[in-house]
Amino acid sequence: MSSPSGNQHALRRRTLSALREAGIGVALVCLVAVFALLSPNFLTPSNITNIFTQISINVILAVGMTFVILIGGIDLSVGSVMAFCAVVAGTVLKMEGLDTGLAIGLALLASMAVGSLCGLANGAVSAYWGIPSFIVTLGMLNIARGAALQWTQARSLYEFPDAFNNFGSTTLLGVPAIFLVALVLVAVGWFVLNRTVFGRLIYAIGNNEEAVRLAGHNVLAYKIAAFVICGAAVGVGAVIYMTRLTIASPISGIGFELNAIAAVIIGGTSLSGGRGSIVGTLLGACIIGVLANGLILIGMSDFLRQMVTGFVIILAVVLDVYRARLTRSRS
Amino acid sequence: MSAATQHPTALELHGLTRRYPGVLALDGVDLALHSGEVHALAGENGAGKSSLIKILCGADRADSGQMTLFGQPYAPVSPLDAIRAGIRVVHQELHMLDALSVAENLQFEALPRSRWGLLDRRAMDLRARELLAMVGLEDLAPATRVAGLGMAQRQLIEIAKALSARSRIVIMDEPTATLTPRETDRLLQIIRQLRQGGVTVVFVSHHLQELFEVCDRVTVLRNGRKVATQAMAGTRTDDLVRLMVGRDLAERAPRQAAVPGRRSAPALRVQGLRFRGQRGEAGLDFDLHDGEIVGLAGLVGSGRTETVRAIFGADPVDAGQIYRDGRAVRISAPRDALAEGICLVTENRKDEGLILDMPIRANLSLASLDAVSRSGLLHAQAEADVSHRMVAKLQIRLASIQQAVRELSGGNQQKVVLGKWLAREPKVLLLDEPTRGVDVSAKAEIHALLERMAADGLAVLVVSSDLRELMGLCDRMLVMSRGVLVGDLPRAQFDEAAILALAYLEYTRSPGHAMGAQVA
Repeated sequence: MSSPSGNQHALRRRTLSALREAGIGVALVCLVAVFALLSPNFLTPSNITNIFTQISINVILAVGMTFVILIGGIDLSVGSVMAFCAVVAGTVLKMEGLDTGLAIGLALLASMAVGSLCGLANGAVSAYWGIPSFIVTLGMLNIARGAALQWTQARSLYEFPDAFNNFGSTTLLGVPAIFLVALVLVAVGWFVLNRTVFGRLIYAIGNNEEAVRLAGHNVLAYKIAAFVICGAAVGVGAVIYMTRLTIASPISGIGFELNAIAAVIIGGTSLSGGRGSIVGTLLGACIIGVLANGLILIGMSDFLRQMVTGFVIILAVVLDVYRARLTRSRS
Repeated sequence: MSAATQHPTALELHGLTRRYPGVLALDGVDLALHSGEVHALAGENGAGKSSLIKILCGADRADSGQMTLFGQPYAPVSPLDAIRAGIRVVHQELHMLDALSVAENLQFEALPRSRWGLLDRRAMDLRARELLAMVGLEDLAPATRVAGLGMAQRQLIEIAKALSARSRIVIMDEPTATLTPRETDRLLQIIRQLRQGGVTVVFVSHHLQELFEVCDRVTVLRNGRKVATQAMAGTRTDDLVRLMVGRDLAERAPRQAAVPGRRSAPALRVQGLRFRGQRGEAGLDFDLHDGEIVGLAGLVGSGRTETVRAIFGADPVDAGQIYRDGRAVRISAPRDALAEGICLVTENRKDEGLILDMPIRANLSLASLDAVSRSGLLHAQAEADVSHRMVAKLQIRLASIQQAVRELSGGNQQKVVLGKWLAREPKVLLLDEPTRGVDVSAKAEIHALLERMAADGLAVLVVSSDLRELMGLCDRMLVMSRGVLVGDLPRAQFDEAAILALAYLEYTRSPGHAMGAQVA
């Protein structure tokens, strides 16, 4: 039955879901315009490069977080796991007698492996025993932080190879290399969620787990996989963060999970799962980054900035509730 | 006009219109409900009944049109407004607080308080007993947690809740869908009592004979328009069906008992199956042959749902062996059953069958993602092809396969559930209440489809509380009573009274009695 009205209807639906991302995009553009008017230093090439650099880590973490939130979970351990990943990667980097390129490659692998294992533990415990991931990852938050401190006896690792340290400040045509890494992760995340069976089931599980189970799918495995993906993204984020700071500190990353969650939520992903997108997450991270950067430029104090960010998170969720109500009443 | 003076108008609707994307749900509906009448609202799924009820109870607002309640303009913007105005809905989907007791659920809108503002438990229990007695649930303790109750009991509690408030208009949306005949009779009795008390009742049911039994007048909706309002007396069943459907439904020829091509082994053999919590020592034994439609009859709670879920691997079993085409198979999860070509259409399509907010195409492909993907990548065109094939096969009425399933009517939603399984080309199809809350013509379409597929060799096992449906559809009937298989009747022996007697068999047997207990 593809009547003309049917096609129109399909078109309207597609526009409607695109509108959600467009709405966040418009908010971002307005924000940029306001700061551009208020501060002559905002829209300068160097400041734009600056913003890209600042948001890169959060984008990487938020891509992973999107998977977990889409299945209706949450990962509070991201910041601590990142520190643990970093000190392990730092140890690998400083191993004697390794070729620099090899050492960097191994460090990245080690970091992703540590992150994935922590994600595996988070996912397996919460999915197998049906424990809210909020609780399990709260436990992991402490475990990973403790492990990171224990690993280095609370010391920071530094004096990494120059090739490694330079990557954090490399730019290509004004775009930081680390932001390009973040964009690659966004692209991969988008592809997985929109073009693969795995992604389809991630959305489906977030909407109705039981229906997916009865359709013959191994829900447990998919839920665990979402946490592993989140952990692997943390592993990448940890190494990227090290290239920027040129140290690996066991006390780094405190509160990073909250920034990632904020980006996902501002990006329109529902905390109850099943609804949202990676593009939204990218835009959400940009909004947080632009706000932080712009508010500094117009001279707002640190404390007020924190308050404003808080208000924006709440505003985003309130707007999302209204949007959901609007689409539901129309259908 | 003399009738109008006898019955003052309770609620008057004028030109009510509601438009949703792609569909005009209500198109200028006029309606006058008399005070103290039982008014039937009839129409196929998607005719606009649900939209109308939503507007009446404040859950949705009309795009245009007016309502007048006892002479006052009535425009509720929330369900609370409607309740305050004395309009109550007994919903088809039950909204209960599972963790709370029956008594608390009955009265949570206005819990009785003692002098100090604390919860007055004694008054609450007393009132709960009163209300439960009104719906024939005298045996249910008010302190029972709702979580453990079955659908029928929940439905009755929901009705009792509607009685608890002083309502002037009570709207009942498919209240009998989950009830047994005895409970239904009880409900019709309650409705008559309400009428005597001057309450206006709006009654929606797909069981037309119930409408004839209890209603004074009927309004028929079709495609969002009102096609008729008339006195029930003097209306014949086929008149009503013609008004609802807009055409004559061909009288379905009673099904010819299939002579299944009996191969050496049955398509499905169940041996010694014991589901969790099953009563007695004996397990269930039965066969299901290719091309056969077998009914599984019994009272609500007799273990029919548990049986089909156990076969499908949806719930763990305590014991039993399943054979497919003579091969012993191990089924410990739904995916094992699917690998053996066994599918289950579950009882509750919204919780277990559908992903309401996802597109129709994603729902149709959910159980056959392997067929629409290559090495893990979704193949959009393949998925669209499968979806369109199922839409055509099941005659699903929709605007586009991109639509969210939520937007479809109940009958079409159920067809999507069926389509999800048929896309896998099953060999054994288990169905649990496949036509509950589905309108007359969609029901006929689903029956015809099952018959066609059985003729092509599919083995079908249907659970239904509608005995007439099973008698019309099935070649053979299994009867369950309190977890025990008590009957296996060929079509020639179908007899409503005999089947019901079997269904009550284990419930009438007192523990002391020997096997040959008397059955009325």
